[in-house]
Amino acid sequence: MSAADKWRPAETLPRTNPFSTRFIQPGALPFLFPADVNASQLVARLAQQEWWGEIIGPHGSGKSTLLASLTPELCRANRRVVQITLHDGERTLRAHNAAIAGIDSQTVLIVDGYEQLWIWNRYLLRRFCRKRRSGLLVTAHSGAGLPALFETRVDRRTASAVLARLCPDGDVVNQSDLDRALAAHGQDLREALFELYDLYEQRHTK
Amino acid sequence: MNAPLVTLTLHDSRRIYQPGETLSGQYHIDAPEGSETHAVEVSVLWHTEGKGDEDIAVHYFDRVSHDDRMGLDFRQPRVFSTVLPNSPLSYEGVLVKIRWCVRLRVFMARGRQTVEERLFQLGEVPPARAILP
Repeated sequence: MSAADKWRPAETLPRTNPFSTRFIQPGALPFLFPADVNASQLVARLAQQEWWGEIIGPHGSGKSTLLASLTPELCRANRRVVQITLHDGERTLRAHNAAIAGIDSQTVLIVDGYEQLWIWNRYLLRRFCRKRRSGLLVTAHSGAGLPALFETRVDRRTASAVLARLCPDGDVVNQSDLDRALAAHGQDLREALFELYDLYEQRHTK
Repeated sequence: MNAPLVTLTLHDSRRIYQPGETLSGQYHIDAPEGSETHAVEVSVLWHTEGKGDEDIAVHYFDRVSHDDRMGLDFRQPRVFSTVLPNSPLSYEGVLVKIRWCVRLRVFMARGRQTVEERLFQLGEVPPARAILP
């Protein structure tokens, strides 16, 4: 290879896939609130509920993204946030005991994926939080018996806004691709965005 | 409040780097009045990108702050330099990619931060291609 071959314009460096995990994971994208509600209103509502609440919604509807948007507001409200995320089949809190041990009346314990826990362990957790007088904010796919805070769902307007943020030019992937992906995945926006990742790779390769 | 104007340049910004070569560059920061720069961190790092969780590793790191050195003037260009390692090489896969970059993180008053990145390529592994149906 000659020395000249080693040089090439910076713009030919690989193009980033806008649907990569780093751009769509909770916290990377802001939660897109409906017009009649925002993060500080939800935190105020949670405070009225003595910092207990549940966010419910189907897979890929933005529950974790909403949590990421609420966390700074909770900190501004002088709450200490302790968050644990439960994965498929994680029925106990054994792996999170150290994180939970220090919660107190200034804490809001966030449990993302609350329905993973066995019913008995949910009961124990609620009792523990009551005893410590801490807050408890959970996400679940259906009602888990805590005071309702918000219900997430994906509509076309929200999904379009997400697409516009990720892929403003719409030159590789467009609205009709998104519509097809959402229909294929039952309005699961996360899975739809992963499908768009593949589509982007295929078209970009072409 | 206006963000600081961050200038980050690689001395060989158009170049594909090879393992063992020296990457060098410089930066300076023009902060608006009343928006003091507390510290600057420059890193040379790689990270994965794709559909899975992201891995990241820092090859070079340097932090300069007012706590360590009084009278710092971030408006003056500061140079950094490092010898690049043998691996991992930049890779343009379909499910996962390996990206190298220089990342500059500027810490301002009241906890504000701004980040600037410059991508570069280490090695010349040919890109993978998606198999089209």
